[in-house]
Amino acid sequence: MLERKTIESTLAGSTLTSSRADGFDYTPEAMMPDVQVLKIGGQSVMDRGRAAVFPILDEIVANKDKHKMLLCCGGGTRARHIYSVGSELELPTGVLAALGGYVPRQNARMLQMLLAKHGGIFMMHDDFEKLPLYFKLGCIPIMTGMPPFGYWEKPHADGRIPQHRTDAGVFLSAEVLGQKRAIFVKDEDGLYDDDPKKNKGAKLIPEIGARELLARDLPDLIIERVVIEYLTRAKFCKELMIINGLVPGNLTRALEGEHVGTIIHRD
Amino acid sequence: MSKLVADDGRTHIVSTLMRESLVDRRVVQKTRTDTEFAILPHVTLVGIGGQSIFDRGKGALLPIVEAITHLRKKHPMVIGVGGGTRVRHTLSVALDLGLPTGGIAQLVGAMEEANAVFLNALLAKHGSIVMQREHFWELPLYIESNMLPIAISIPPYHFWEPPPEDGPLPAHGSDFGLFIHAEVLGMKRIIFVKDEDGLYDKDPKKHADAKLFEKIELDDLLERLPDELILDRALFSAWKTAKHVERVQIVNGLKPDQLLAAMAGEDAGTVITRTVKGGS
Repeated sequence: MLERKTIESTLAGSTLTSSRADGFDYTPEAMMPDVQVLKIGGQSVMDRGRAAVFPILDEIVANKDKHKMLLCCGGGTRARHIYSVGSELELPTGVLAALGGYVPRQNARMLQMLLAKHGGIFMMHDDFEKLPLYFKLGCIPIMTGMPPFGYWEKPHADGRIPQHRTDAGVFLSAEVLGQKRAIFVKDEDGLYDDDPKKNKGAKLIPEIGARELLARDLPDLIIERVVIEYLTRAKFCKELMIINGLVPGNLTRALEGEHVGTIIHRD
Repeated sequence: MSKLVADDGRTHIVSTLMRESLVDRRVVQKTRTDTEFAILPHVTLVGIGGQSIFDRGKGALLPIVEAITHLRKKHPMVIGVGGGTRVRHTLSVALDLGLPTGGIAQLVGAMEEANAVFLNALLAKHGSIVMQREHFWELPLYIESNMLPIAISIPPYHFWEPPPEDGPLPAHGSDFGLFIHAEVLGMKRIIFVKDEDGLYDKDPKKHADAKLFEKIELDDLLERLPDELILDRALFSAWKTAKHVERVQIVNGLKPDQLLAAMAGEDAGTVITRTVKGGS
């Protein structure tokens, strides 16, 4: 009487406590491989205001009929303020992640207002399945870069700031869509061996493998550490390109597939 | 009031993290302390297995429901449920179709939500409520008014599930989700109700000589973590860096006395402990 009422399936007896799925020859399908996921930096672009944002939007509008672009926003200085206040109050990482989510959403709404006349449309995570519709209508979908983990963000050993922030969300969006390269629009020419804003002698790294980069164990990076780790085991998104959006033409060249700035590839 | 600074083309708000790279280890380390504020430390999280309990129907579920109606008078608690065999069927179909890992993660929560609704139907007259994610901060209201919140266990990683380490299945399942739910709220203990007396060194359903872990420290367990587990592997790795959860207990729901004993703070089933530096 107490027997399990099960449905017959290959995994029926599995405990599902790991990612392994024995008995499957798994070949994932790319959902929308022609969509280019672009991260618009928070501190690096949005916090610079009109001078930085408008030329980038001009380039996006000029490319909208040629490229399907999903814009994802970073947070910036207001997110730093939230993390600073939250850390001082000793609140858990998950609470900080949920609170930190407000800022990139504001930034996405700002871009939507500016791009509305060109089809800019603000979307929440729950609208992700409507992307085909937005592109069919010629829209430019804009969302937060933050993944939806919120209160479910894992605590970690190194401090209180959530490990998955807007770079992670952008990479994971590109990965699930089946896009092979995610583009990060920032205010530096790419990845350096130290923070170029603090160390004038920092050297640009034009291309590097993810494992090689992790092995170098740099004290600072231009992109969240978890993204480099995930890149080493990604199924689709095998390259990250970090470009300087303040240089006119860079974004257009990047959309055309040219190597601009730094490429971090799966090695 | 915080000041604004705009001397480098960017407008900053003065804060300890102003102008900093949040990836810089030297910066991130500064946000580290041993203590962390505990939001709801007096609440216990109870996770009820999908395949192990729900899929066995009335005979297994009703005694647990009965136990909960008594326990809730004494112990504030949040209940989580697993999805069971329908999750396994979903995954089998999704893998065969070649859906990406994030797409698979998007699908599975629906099956356990159905179990949450089943349980809510049985417990409604005792004040249960299925908690929507966006109602996260209403939890104190439910607890304070003696209601019995039933949470969705699968964490909302959805399309954004990170690429797994050793296979195509999403690593962040319902045991992990409940663990994080408890941890972020500063809860101290979690009780998982399954159909075995606890965690064994190998799957007791396949090996007659499997040995039960009765009481073990997390660090000791991690040194000999079995290949076949009764809880998500991701739970154990997340627990290593957690700040609040001190005790994870796995009891046999087919023997409801074990749940009663566990709620009373007694050792029953498997008790895994971790000494944490503590909340404030």
